[in-house]
Amino acid sequence: MPFLSRLSSLSRHFFQRQQREKELDEELRSVLELLTEQKMREGMSLEEARRAAKVELGGIEQVKESVREARTGAWLDTLGRDVRYGLRTLRKNPGFTATAVITLALGIGATTAIFSFLDAWLIKPLPYPQPDRLLVLLSHNEKQGWTSHGVTSNADFLDFQKQSTSFEQLAGWTQRDFSVTGGGPPVLVDGGQVTWNYFQTLAAEPLLGRTFTPEEDAPGAPHVAVISEGLWRSRFAGDPAIIGKDIAIGDEPYSVVGVMRGTFQFPLMGVANLWTPLALSEKERADHGSSSFMLFGRLKPGVTRAQAAAETAAIFAEYAKQYPQTNTNVTTLLSPMAVEIQSEEGAEEIAICLCVTGLILLIACVNVATLTLAKASRRVRELAVRGAFGATRQRLVRQLLTESLLLFLFGAATGTLFGLWGMRWIENAIPAHIRGYIVNYGHVSMDLTTLAFTLGITLVCGVAFGLVPAFGNSRIDINSVLKSASAQGSASRGHARLRRVFVSSEIGLAVVVLIVATLLVKSFVISMLASPGFNPAGVMTAQLELPATGYADDARLRNFADAVLGRLRVLPGVASAGVASGLPFGGFGRSVEIEAVGKPAPRPGEGLRSHFTAVSPDYLPTMEIELLKGREFTSADSSASAPVALINQTMARQLWPDEEPVGQELRFGDQHVVCTIVGVTSDIKMNSPREPPEPQMYVPLAQFPSQTLGFVARTATGNSKPTATAIRDAIWAVDSDQPISSVEQLDTLMAVVDTGNRILAELMLFFGVLATLLGAIGIFGVMAQTVAQRTREIGIRAALGAGPGRAMFSVLADGLRLTAIGVLVGIVVAFAAGRALASLLYGVAPNDSATFVGVPAVFALVAMLACWIPARRAMRVDPMVALRHE
Amino acid sequence: MSPEQTNLLQGTLDVMILKALALDEMHGLGISRRIEQITKGTFHVKPGSLFPALHRMEEAGWLSSSWGESENNRRAKYYKLTKAGRRQMENETQRWGRISLAITRALEAS
Repeated sequence: MPFLSRLSSLSRHFFQRQQREKELDEELRSVLELLTEQKMREGMSLEEARRAAKVELGGIEQVKESVREARTGAWLDTLGRDVRYGLRTLRKNPGFTATAVITLALGIGATTAIFSFLDAWLIKPLPYPQPDRLLVLLSHNEKQGWTSHGVTSNADFLDFQKQSTSFEQLAGWTQRDFSVTGGGPPVLVDGGQVTWNYFQTLAAEPLLGRTFTPEEDAPGAPHVAVISEGLWRSRFAGDPAIIGKDIAIGDEPYSVVGVMRGTFQFPLMGVANLWTPLALSEKERADHGSSSFMLFGRLKPGVTRAQAAAETAAIFAEYAKQYPQTNTNVTTLLSPMAVEIQSEEGAEEIAICLCVTGLILLIACVNVATLTLAKASRRVRELAVRGAFGATRQRLVRQLLTESLLLFLFGAATGTLFGLWGMRWIENAIPAHIRGYIVNYGHVSMDLTTLAFTLGITLVCGVAFGLVPAFGNSRIDINSVLKSASAQGSASRGHARLRRVFVSSEIGLAVVVLIVATLLVKSFVISMLASPGFNPAGVMTAQLELPATGYADDARLRNFADAVLGRLRVLPGVASAGVASGLPFGGFGRSVEIEAVGKPAPRPGEGLRSHFTAVSPDYLPTMEIELLKGREFTSADSSASAPVALINQTMARQLWPDEEPVGQELRFGDQHVVCTIVGVTSDIKMNSPREPPEPQMYVPLAQFPSQTLGFVARTATGNSKPTATAIRDAIWAVDSDQPISSVEQLDTLMAVVDTGNRILAELMLFFGVLATLLGAIGIFGVMAQTVAQRTREIGIRAALGAGPGRAMFSVLADGLRLTAIGVLVGIVVAFAAGRALASLLYGVAPNDSATFVGVPAVFALVAMLACWIPARRAMRVDPMVALRHE
Repeated sequence: MSPEQTNLLQGTLDVMILKALALDEMHGLGISRRIEQITKGTFHVKPGSLFPALHRMEEAGWLSSSWGESENNRRAKYYKLTKAGRRQMENETQRWGRISLAITRALEAS
């Protein structure tokens, strides 16, 4: 049909509806009369002819209905009517509607919230032009099984930059804090040192000025800096003439050459507001032993990742031959930048959360389908009447489907609100500096993609779970229903079976969610309860980095640490205080290559590395790190005495498995310093509560002064701990220009590191409770319905002498049977799911028996409780009332 | 319905109605009778199918309708072909010719 003609009939359809209805009515009446006359001519009496005509026409109302449906725009009309009717039905059953809408809202809301993170963090492309051409360079040692960012050494990178033909640009970067002084209190600004082409490789344009030039990325070049829009506005009041001005960084003037837009972000570096050129010295450029920065590159157009990877591998294989000491077994891999960022963002955790919310959504859908079925068996009669008035089966299905979709749409609307709340909750649970590692600073919004996703799952689920009850109901036999005296109708038996299948699968799904949640929550709790090897309770920390300019010699470094310690010790409430070059869960970790003196040198590429911490004598006692053997450091271990070290159990076991470690000598670091081991300490966690124990060495701070310092002050039990201000003042009393990175309680530092796992555990706890609740609602609904339908039967049994306990028992047994089937299926599925989770578990086996027995047991108990109320109702059935029950 | 009568093939109803109206305008019942007559009683169109089709074809612009007097001076709604309807009939006739020829050949092939 031509479009215009269709359009005009559509408009006629709406504007001349009454007129057309009248005409249709007249037309059919005239047809009936013509038919009657015809029959009379054939010799029938008037009565007979009328009857025969009606039979031949086959019901005026039904013909009218089919004409209406044939018209253009009929679907709109029908839809309107279906929606109005559906709304009325929903309003008439407020209890049902509210339960269904809230159930769906929880399922849809949870899924929407998690999806918004998946979309914002993992699906959206990185905010750079042609982001798929950005690759990160990773060192990989196949033999030892480690992978790390960057390449083997500075010199290798510079050589590679010249030799490689696959990349348009190769850029290096390293994270750094800058202490910005002058024009206000000293602040520590997160940022990085970068090669001159860093911004160009990312194709990021500055807001003001320019980025670096190759000349500025050389030793001895004039100091220049690029600052972020945020720093420019906050620290320099958005000074329009900032370009070319000097700012003081670590007491030295740096000339600002550019301001980057606020939207510029490089998640691998974290929060960054200030950048200076890397400007490697000649010595650093020639370093074949170690690398001091991380790398990424932009592929030339037309070069594939595989081509680039092959070329890179070939070049580094050559280096391995040239520099066997450092490069043996080490190759360089290329990984898409998006993948590296996503692994920081917790791609795996998000995927698991989405799976779990998907299951919860399924539970919610099954729940609503069950409720709909239960309600529908009470509507059989109504549907039969509608069928008798000319509604086709298709119409009935459409009507029921419309109702289901209405429910789902209400659920989605409410769910979107829940989802928004959930999104904000998760977002706010992420500490600011961790957000720096996430695309767009972790910000998620209810954008069009998310809304489209929500609408999509709503419609799919609404149709899928609306069709089952709808088809079940449209297949009713009009005659038998209308003849039957019962209000329940005959469709109930099929419904009942379907409902039982629904409930069992719902229980199965809930058990899967519950087991997955329990495994993850248990992992988190175990990792939290596991001793880190020190006692974080009541310990305040302060971390800072002394500038090289003001603290050029060891004596000044020592004096600063001693002076601050002296002030911390006398703060009210402080029992003891110590200082280290880096704190566990702090930011200043260092590691060194180690070697046992008097043992054969390790083969190239198989050297042992160890955490390296310089500490004051009272640091280990203050942290309550246990000394297992030998002695602690004392003030006698000074710059004048022979170098000494403490090592942890793990290093003792690895280097001297069969000998007494105390008294042995240890060589470490680039300078190959040799020191005598004076004691062995217990292992402690350094970066994560889940890490396996690693070698660790401690040396006296007096012998190895450090620019990075972490102070710890333990509060005497029962005393209130010193305030952050008191600690800051103690430091500033020694050096008023010294910026302080952080003043935190030690357990806060630890909690921040474990943020991802904590959020995951909290979400899982919530999801577990949700699944239990929905499962319980489901089984309660079905059992209550069953009892209601069996009231008559129970009444007859009671009248025939069956005791009340018998009715209750049979209801409970029925519920238990349904639960058992669901639980068994759930356990089997959860076994498979547990295996997929293995990498996220800590201290819990994927088939943890306590979980796999306990969770189903608890769930069965919940299910029994849910059956209890209907069962008790069954017990109280009064035969007299029941027999009259209709 | 007698055993010899066959239900209309899907899609044939429209072309039957067009053909029935080819000579003269007619009311609904007349069209039904005419189809039975020209198919020698093979096809019987039920009102439940006929009237929706008539209204649909009128909307498509193939038929126009007006109220008139029946043989016995009764008011009845008369349908007649429009120009577009006649064109449609020619197209459909050709199409059916091709189809029926093809089917006949297919069934005769051994």
